[in-house]
Amino acid sequence: MRRGVLESITVVIAGVVAFPLFWMVLSAFKPEDEVISADPRPWTLRPSLDSFTRALTVQSFGRYFVNSVVVALIVVALSLLISFLAATALTRFRFRSRTTLLIMLLVVQMVPVEALTVPLFFLMRSVGDAVPWFGLNHLGSLVLVHLAFSLPFAIWMLRGFVAAVPVELEEAATLDGASRFRFLWQVLFPLVAPGLVATSVLSFIHAWNDFLFAKTFIISAAENQTLPLALQVFVKPDQNDWGAIMAGSTLMTIPVLVFFVLVQRNLVSGLAGAVKG
Amino acid sequence: MRNQGRVAYGYLTPALLVLGGLLAYPIYQLVLISLFDYGQEQVSGGAPLTFLGLGNYRTLLGQQQFWTVLGQTVGFAAVCVVGSLLVGTALAILCTRVRTWARMVLFLAALGAWSTPAVAGSTIWLFLFDANFGFVNEVLGTTGFSWTFDKWTAFGLVAAQVIWCSFPFVMVTLYAGIKAIPTEVLEAAALDGASTARTAVSVTLPLLKPLLIVVTIQSIIWDFKVFTQIYVMTNGGGIAGRNLVLNVYAYQQAFAASEYGLGAAIGVVMTAVLLAITVFYLRALKRQGEVL
Amino acid sequence: MRLKRFVAVLGVGAVVACAPVQSGPSSSGADEKTGQLRVWLFDEVNRGPKEAVVKDAIAEFESAHSGVTVDVQYIQVQTRAERFKAAFSDPKSAPDVAEFGNTDLAGYVSAGGFSDLDLSKWGESKDLVPTVLDTAKVDGKVYGVPWFVGVRALYYRTDVFAELGIQPPKTLDEIAPIARRIRQAKPDMLGISAGGKYLFAALPFIWAQGGDIAKSDGGKFTSTVDSEQAKAGVAKYAELVKDDICPPAQCAGNGGDASVEGFRTGKAAMTIGGDFNRKSVDASAAAGKYGVVPLPGKTEGSIAPAFAGGNLLGVLKGTQRKSLSTEFVQLLASKKYQQKMYAAMGNLPTFSDVQQQVAESDKFLEPFTATLKSGTKFVPVTPSWAKIEAQAVLPTMIQEVVTGAKDVNAATKTAADAMNAAFAS
Repeated sequence: MRRGVLESITVVIAGVVAFPLFWMVLSAFKPEDEVISADPRPWTLRPSLDSFTRALTVQSFGRYFVNSVVVALIVVALSLLISFLAATALTRFRFRSRTTLLIMLLVVQMVPVEALTVPLFFLMRSVGDAVPWFGLNHLGSLVLVHLAFSLPFAIWMLRGFVAAVPVELEEAATLDGASRFRFLWQVLFPLVAPGLVATSVLSFIHAWNDFLFAKTFIISAAENQTLPLALQVFVKPDQNDWGAIMAGSTLMTIPVLVFFVLVQRNLVSGLAGAVKG
Repeated sequence: MRNQGRVAYGYLTPALLVLGGLLAYPIYQLVLISLFDYGQEQVSGGAPLTFLGLGNYRTLLGQQQFWTVLGQTVGFAAVCVVGSLLVGTALAILCTRVRTWARMVLFLAALGAWSTPAVAGSTIWLFLFDANFGFVNEVLGTTGFSWTFDKWTAFGLVAAQVIWCSFPFVMVTLYAGIKAIPTEVLEAAALDGASTARTAVSVTLPLLKPLLIVVTIQSIIWDFKVFTQIYVMTNGGGIAGRNLVLNVYAYQQAFAASEYGLGAAIGVVMTAVLLAITVFYLRALKRQGEVL
Repeated sequence: MRLKRFVAVLGVGAVVACAPVQSGPSSSGADEKTGQLRVWLFDEVNRGPKEAVVKDAIAEFESAHSGVTVDVQYIQVQTRAERFKAAFSDPKSAPDVAEFGNTDLAGYVSAGGFSDLDLSKWGESKDLVPTVLDTAKVDGKVYGVPWFVGVRALYYRTDVFAELGIQPPKTLDEIAPIARRIRQAKPDMLGISAGGKYLFAALPFIWAQGGDIAKSDGGKFTSTVDSEQAKAGVAKYAELVKDDICPPAQCAGNGGDASVEGFRTGKAAMTIGGDFNRKSVDASAAAGKYGVVPLPGKTEGSIAPAFAGGNLLGVLKGTQRKSLSTEFVQLLASKKYQQKMYAAMGNLPTFSDVQQQVAESDKFLEPFTATLKSGTKFVPVTPSWAKIEAQAVLPTMIQEVVTGAKDVNAATKTAADAMNAAFAS
């Protein structure tokens, strides 16, 4: 087939894939009476910011936004650090139970997260007795669970990157008298940076999108709720405020999308690396 | 060698602590809970714990609905896995055939779908397919038709949504994999006079196989555990629970009703089924001479 | 690393524990006089006016107590079971005050969620209607102040009925034919907006046939939903959720709110709605062209036994501010604010004098007070009920019948088995 034809097909497919997102943004900008109309149109002649205003002001959306960002960033930072060390151990060293550990990393991903909410709930309650900040009703509890759930995949993925760094480099560094520690942070860490970036995106998404734990753990502290819960405010017993839901969803999707696009190149090589390793 | 092991464990300590404390321990608790009669009264200490052994499992396996839901879950996951693999692979190949700008457009759209939070994504699809205000019904001229009422259209709609947000992972990974194949290999095949299709089947595919395996396993793991989409789009499992999948079933029947023991048993069974499927798949591959 | 140390602590905990966790939700004993009160109220159809009244009450409360703030969260009725369960399981994180339905009382109290209240020092409490106060008691102790009485009746569109020259149904059996006739004449309209998950609309159908969902034998309940009378009632109700009245594709998934919403949009000729829905209907497409009659019983002139619903305001056991919480409950449930709530939402007050006063001044209340007087019924008063409701046993039964997944015999049998299993546990 001609390249032109293929490119047209590509663009059409991209259009179909992006359509739900287009509809989301469009609905967010439509005036209220057009959002819920028996005669929906794929355009609007009267764009309005009303829905955004409702989403941002009626409930303390800003607060939730900050909470979500804080949780996600802490999770990303911690999971990068921990998974980098673990991935190095798993690729650079041969030791007994290495394979077992690798298989366990895959197996723990199979346990349904939803089923774990109950044991985790009680665990967090006990944690809260010792360290209130990490207990139920606090953002710390969310950081802990997301960290735990994003680690297996992060380690799995970083493994490929670490493996791709030639062993000779390490030998050369050791000959130069660099300590193991210096090698780790000054040589290896920068070299796997693309992988770290790719990993961080996935950890970020994991923490950012969570609905279940935010719903279960943040029991009554409205000030500690995160974005996905804020959206629920507009789901009402009578008529959902679709405009505000779409505006909220738009605001929620944008940071991830920006993050994604920024690291797109690293992500591609990252996923390939993860799989090759 | 011994020294190596010590350093390795040193590096692994933080990960092991987190995974041990926050994943392995809860999983151990989950198994434990599944062996007890553990309801709200037991949780709040109002009633003594009774050890049931495999009692919860027996109850579960004796439920006719469990088997129906299990079948639905496997079928639903299979459709989603096959769907996202097919779409993802096809588009990955398409990406290698077009110029950068077109690929960027598709990547952007796919990344958008990927990055949409499950709750938001489900809500948007629901709105697009709304019986009265949905754009899809407007275009098809079927205003008033409820996509979420009938069992099969509801499942179909949710499956489409799941494929929509999970094919990008497959596409991006496979695209990266194809790109990683040295051009010389492909050129050599072309020089030998192999057709494009031949090259794809006998050169590209075998090289991509390890990658495909991992992608398939990840997809199986994810799609078997779909929760948010079913929960949001079919309003917690459809009319009279006919759109339930195991994960939502566990949540509805067990956690909502405080039968934590039974719910935990469903969780354990799900993990076992997933493990079995994965092991079965890997062994089938091994018989073909593939190694992970 | 702080995190490391503390995960290590967790690790030790893992070794020690060898059975699932148990705990007693204990009252903290503390009784602080300042700080924040967290309050959970139910979200509902057209919540605005309710919110306004609550804001007034908060303003009054905060100005009377310096250093006290009140934070209200509106929670979804549909997901209340999980919310409350989480709150009971971690009393530290629970709210201080909550609105809850009287059907949930037995379950919540047995879970140790709410603390009993001493209303003796509250002057207004003597005017609470005794039978209503009874719905707030378990074993003689009061666990909440009744905030309003919820009783349902038949809403119908006067304009549609006049246009077609028909009268509101006089017996339960007449409802289906009338609804069918309306939909025939006006295909865009639902004959009656009746939801497949709207249990409190379906119950009167069962009760009117002389059936019930369960019977108590010395405190031990057994399901009777598969009895002949109950089956007749289920079949009668299910008849409404059919293509020629209220198509299952539109109605089978609806609960009470969605059913009333159907009427509010002007797309239904009838619905079963509560006193508390009245103001929201006044602010809708059906405003000014609707009337309300008691839901008729089996014979002409009789009234089908209604479900005696209503919500209570209670203080959670884990609160650190019991006195403040009790005071806030007494303020929000006071005569003054009940009257305001009546004006805002149409909620029927729980004080006999206030009830009488509003009934005299408002003819609208007649069908509701008439229904109350003719006798109401309740769901089984047992902690197991919370479980039966959380499992959606009865709504699922109705849905199975209306979608044709099972016939009435099979569906009621399954439901009865599930109920008995819950009663036994």
